[in-house]
Amino acid sequence: MAIQVSGITKQFGSYRALDSVDLEVRSGELLALLGPSGSGKTTLLRIMAGLESPDAGSLQLNGEEALGLKPRDRQVGFVFQHYALFRHMTVFDNVAFGLKVRPRAQRLPNAEIKRRVSELLELVQLGHFADRYPAQLSGGQRQRVALARALAIEPKVLLLDEPFGALDAKVRKELRRWLRKLHDEIHITSVFVTHDQEEALELADRVVVMSQGRIEQIGSPAEVYDHPSSAFVYEFLGQVNRFDCMVEGGLAHIGNGALAIPTDGDVRGAAIAYVRPHDLGVTPAVGGPGRVSGIHVVGPDARVEIELGGLFLEAEMDRERFTSLGMALGDSCSVHIDRARVFAR
Amino acid sequence: MPASSSASALSDPAWMRRLLIATALAFLALFLLLPLVAVFAEALRRGVGAYWTALVDEDALEAIKLTLIVAAIAVPANLVFGVAASWCVAKFDFYGKNLLITLIDLPFSVSPVISGLIYVLLFGLNGAIGPFLKAQGIQIIFAVPGLVLATIFVTFPFVARELIPLMQEQGTEEEEAALVLGAGGWQTFWRVTLPNIKWGLLYGVLLCNARAMGEFGAVSVVSGHIRGYTNTMPLHVEILYNEYNFVAAFAVASVLAMLALVTLVAKSALEWRFGAELAATRHK
Repeated sequence: MAIQVSGITKQFGSYRALDSVDLEVRSGELLALLGPSGSGKTTLLRIMAGLESPDAGSLQLNGEEALGLKPRDRQVGFVFQHYALFRHMTVFDNVAFGLKVRPRAQRLPNAEIKRRVSELLELVQLGHFADRYPAQLSGGQRQRVALARALAIEPKVLLLDEPFGALDAKVRKELRRWLRKLHDEIHITSVFVTHDQEEALELADRVVVMSQGRIEQIGSPAEVYDHPSSAFVYEFLGQVNRFDCMVEGGLAHIGNGALAIPTDGDVRGAAIAYVRPHDLGVTPAVGGPGRVSGIHVVGPDARVEIELGGLFLEAEMDRERFTSLGMALGDSCSVHIDRARVFAR
Repeated sequence: MPASSSASALSDPAWMRRLLIATALAFLALFLLLPLVAVFAEALRRGVGAYWTALVDEDALEAIKLTLIVAAIAVPANLVFGVAASWCVAKFDFYGKNLLITLIDLPFSVSPVISGLIYVLLFGLNGAIGPFLKAQGIQIIFAVPGLVLATIFVTFPFVARELIPLMQEQGTEEEEAALVLGAGGWQTFWRVTLPNIKWGLLYGVLLCNARAMGEFGAVSVVSGHIRGYTNTMPLHVEILYNEYNFVAAFAVASVLAMLALVTLVAKSALEWRFGAELAATRHK
């Protein structure tokens, strides 16, 4: 089912959580709403579910206006950040809830409910946990129960609010992979909210980057990472070197003229230049303009901090390359950057 | 060695612990146990026969009956009100919420005698709406309705006060989950909210009930002390005591004390029986 969001605005007191947001969620895709806290991503998700109503705008589910519909009539599955499992019910009863509260005429026979719930518990690999209470499960298990419960009502859309936010790093990665696989199997239109750029880039078909109640950019993970449309997106996605510069004749001059980098685009004058640490080349050079001011080698990567004309830059390379360069703290070096992304100040 | 030294560093010396425990026990014995024992001892001073005679006295039976009636009306009323009020306060944001919370606490801060007096001023013969009610043939003051009203007022906060923090802590996510899953408002209440608060609710009701049966001040003002008609147990105890009928006074008092004990035992038994479940509803 496709979702069409047009001009959605939401105000909480004097705080504008969403500012005329337009967004199209394509049928069957896995979409990430990515942004820092306070960017409005959760509010947008809750509006889609009907848990919040916007001040203005329209929301269409499969081409039909849905803002007037109650949550129960929208056919959405919602997975809460803190799971929101019914704590006094067993895992089985949690998953069965949506089926049991249907009006009598639409309710399935008990045997059928039982069969469906068992099937879902198998799907989320919790077949043996049907009689447990939520308090007796680990975070990852609870999250999967929450997912099974949301899927039980056969929703047309699955909405997930920070689905992995409360889990530790290892479980988070496993569950992320598992969710991707699940989505590839059942192809349900899914929207998930996250503040973790790595999670969004790895998991989603398309990423929506949000900031201060507005959408900054929509695109595939590669598009938003390689071609950020704004300074905010550039800074938010991954590590970045950021410096003030003057752009003249297609060159960005940084560090009081210590370095001139070719730029694209038509920005002129005072601007901000961005360079990813792995796009920054370093070579040892006696009498070079830079000086190695910090070295951090962890795992397969090496991060080198360089002082250049009063600026501090960070370069990232693999460990082998770093070893072959043979640089030590305090060494002089030269710095070369193929290309910088420049945004007007 | 480090383990033992850290253990002793975290606890007080043995003599200190014993002193604290002994103080607490002595205090309990002096202020709780001794009066309780005294009630029963005084009641049985002239033997079981006299005790029984005092209890089956017509006025005493009427007082017990009236107390039970008043509690049977006041407690359910405050149960409904308490759940409704805490549901509003904990699950919704609205203008005037703080005022509502303050109002709920009012009966705790006002002396019961004053609250009784207010009812007299409102519903009494010289009161604001008393003459009108009198013309309709409705009597509130010096009658059962007055007793019920005064008791409801005084026991107003017990259920709500117990539930509001519990419901606030539990938040609204489970209710939201139920709504998205297709449950209606009532279904959400009966299947999700109520089971989550049932232990807090029960506790609030027990406290409310204990107070409803034991209330003296407010009830005393509106009652008029008409024997066999508007005398609840606490009032009856006072009358008997003032008449130097000590055995009868303590006999009725012992029934009140037993009601309190039953309440306490019921509460402890429930906590013991359902302790794990109780803990589960309090913590996520």
